[in-house]
Amino acid sequence: MSKIKKKRVGFVLDMTPLVDIAFLLLTFFMFTAKFKSDTENEQKFQIKRPMASADTSKVPDKDLAMIKIGIDTVTNDTAYYYSLSNEQDRKVVYNSDKVQLSDEARQKVILKVTDLKVLEALLKQTRMANLRMKFAIDADKRVQYKWIEDLTNVMRLSNATVFNFVTDRPS
Amino acid sequence: MGGGGGGLQAAPKVKRGSFATVRKKKKRVGFVLDMTPLVDIAFLLLTFFMLSTTLTTPQTMEMSVPPETENVEVKQSELLTVLVRDDGQIFKYMGDKKTNPPEKVALKDLRALSINENLRMENKLIVSLRISNKVPYGLVINLLDQLNIAETDITQRLSAKGMKRERKFALTPLTNEDMEDLKAL
Repeated sequence: MSKIKKKRVGFVLDMTPLVDIAFLLLTFFMFTAKFKSDTENEQKFQIKRPMASADTSKVPDKDLAMIKIGIDTVTNDTAYYYSLSNEQDRKVVYNSDKVQLSDEARQKVILKVTDLKVLEALLKQTRMANLRMKFAIDADKRVQYKWIEDLTNVMRLSNATVFNFVTDRPS
Repeated sequence: MGGGGGGLQAAPKVKRGSFATVRKKKKRVGFVLDMTPLVDIAFLLLTFFMLSTTLTTPQTMEMSVPPETENVEVKQSELLTVLVRDDGQIFKYMGDKKTNPPEKVALKDLRALSINENLRMENKLIVSLRISNKVPYGLVINLLDQLNIAETDITQRLSAKGMKRERKFALTPLTNEDMEDLKAL
């Protein structure tokens, strides 16, 4: 018998460090993952946010009333889209008598609003339902300033005088 | 002849603690578990979570508007008016526009302008922004951003002088009269 054996039979690689790293990354991404909310699922437009210099303030998760101004990808028309992060508040506000909405619209998560009067009623009801509510304006950078101006006027009328513009940081 | 896993070789060398008479071998030395399926699943999940996370979270820029009931009177000499025309050109004038006709300013010069004027007036200056309806919203945010960057500088320099910064700032609609003025420029 020759002394030289074939060593390639049953080749074993120690995968422990690999698995360690893989699981470390896995847990990291699992905890940081944030899934799309109901609001985003219903949304039929994409917002190209304007860039602003780095700021540490983030969009709050709770008690947030979001007013989006988006350009529909299919029809290309601009409209306001109103949504509330709080499900309970959403039920109260959307079903209020003071807001003129169709029964079908009241069931939705994200409301398409074209009438400023309706928007004003919505904002007023939101303020009444929850005083801690914060307002954020998430608008596409291509929309005309008229949309923002009209919106801020309505917000002023509904006493929502402090609000946030949602922006992206430059990459 | 290293690892213990084999068993292909007929008789192993006499090991520590084993007697020649005992046929049973200790098999626990160098225990190997096939981790391939585990790694497969781990990597599958890893790629899923990596691709589904959005790392760039949007940030916010806070704004406030005066309530409807409030009416503020200002001295004209303390007013810096910044006008934005339909095509996005920016103009400014200090105080009265009859004595100080509007001048064109570039977006990047706005920061320096705000810093200089605010320090000269020492907290008395009020910036009035008159923006045309037709300007894209992105430009308005860029403009506000420049003023916000200037703000940190102003606060720093004023606090060095022992003053507290009070920001005065107003968004006002562009009137027809303003538009006529700007057309010629």
